[in-house]
Amino acid sequence: MIHLGSITDGRRPDMVRLLHTSLPEFKSKIHQAGQKNGKTILLRGLENLRSAKMQSLRTGRIENTVDELAQKSETDLVEVVVMARVPETMHTVVIKSYDKDGKPLEAVLEVINILHPTEEAELEGFRVTDNRPPLGRH
Amino acid sequence: MAQLRFRFMAKGAGVGTGLPINMAFVDKQDLAAEGIAEADALTAIAREVNAPVGINVFDMDAITTTSDGIVVDGAIVTMAAADIGRIHPEFGCLHMAKIEVTDQLIKEEPHLAQIRGQFDGRPLFRGPNPKDKLIPVHNVVMTGRAVNNNSATEVMDAISMEEMLLPILGQLQVMHDEDVVFGITGEVISVGIGMTVAEQFGRVFPTRQFAAGQTAHGSGEYAKTLKANIPCMVAPKRVLARYIIRALEAGMAPGLHIGCSPAVLALAHAIGSPIAKDRIEPKARVELASIGVDVDSLVTEGPKLSAEEAISDADQIVPGVVNPILCASRDVVSKESIAV
Repeated sequence: MIHLGSITDGRRPDMVRLLHTSLPEFKSKIHQAGQKNGKTILLRGLENLRSAKMQSLRTGRIENTVDELAQKSETDLVEVVVMARVPETMHTVVIKSYDKDGKPLEAVLEVINILHPTEEAELEGFRVTDNRPPLGRH
Repeated sequence: MAQLRFRFMAKGAGVGTGLPINMAFVDKQDLAAEGIAEADALTAIAREVNAPVGINVFDMDAITTTSDGIVVDGAIVTMAAADIGRIHPEFGCLHMAKIEVTDQLIKEEPHLAQIRGQFDGRPLFRGPNPKDKLIPVHNVVMTGRAVNNNSATEVMDAISMEEMLLPILGQLQVMHDEDVVFGITGEVISVGIGMTVAEQFGRVFPTRQFAAGQTAHGSGEYAKTLKANIPCMVAPKRVLARYIIRALEAGMAPGLHIGCSPAVLALAHAIGSPIAKDRIEPKARVELASIGVDVDSLVTEGPKLSAEEAISDADQIVPGVVNPILCASRDVVSKESIAV
């Protein structure tokens, strides 16, 4: 039996779940932050994720920023874009075959690197505030 | 106030979808003559263009290598990518590593035995030192939409996804104000760019992954399709032929010292220079066969052309770009000057 104290670094087990936010909850929080101000919210960049745990600390800050922008009278729409911060990501590709009954046959692992635009592709014309910590800090 | 001079090629130049982003070509000597720091020059060009642009800085007194290991005159020493007037502070700029050519290095990279005569003693640059990169990405710089990859020899727009190959010899033609060739890369070059040599801090690979006689593609019949439909800007074939023949005459055997690209094999065959057929691996042979090059049928005996004849007939001998269009640099490259 695992002693919970050893993996929670002294925190209560129910606090552990707060360190990360589930993907549906994240989406809900972002929309609520804008909608409570009666503003339209667009969230894009997460369409390819089916299940993910989102960093809670940043979830709160993003909610707060969405709320702040949505409160401003000049604001009509808030768009939230989630994009890779490192502009080249390396992905494992699992190539699998099945028989006619759906039984697994073979799986081959390959790799592919994907290039992404950096944030400048989203920033033209905006007044920009950069709250990101340096790479390697979260 | 100093004058920053650079050559500029606008987005859209070339054939097909054309150049996907703007390009600025800077001569390090022009910066030195005006006392302009390289970083200031890059910043000024980014601000001036204020749109996706790749920026390549050249040391024309240095030397570099092509992907198949041919030593050529002039090198890119810095690459940058800019968009909306700025260069990404973390991923927008890289410097190529200056490589000291020693006897030990020539043992490890035998194609560097070409470095003699006019090339002897000159600084060698290829790709960056991986330690200079924040994350183990390709030899690539990116800002916004602008992507400048493979040590500044292919550029892309990350949003439109258009791409253009800019092999080093074509860019050096621009720096010399000489003719360039625009065209579609085609199957032959698509196969050829996989026939690399093993290099530390190479243009594409940071370590010695694929040696002469091997293929970096390793994708069989699919290799010829990988870059086939992408536009490119290259040097006229006589320019490429002159460099390849220089390497062959320096004792370089395709498959052993230099890569077994179709252009190298065709010229070695034409002038009767030795080809290390037994060193060309089966995977490379499959890719060469897919574009009609049968390694075993290449003969080095019998009547052959002289070097000058082969260079003169290069358009007939060297396979390459599809639908090529010869173009004077001055028709596509402007010379810009801005005060900094």
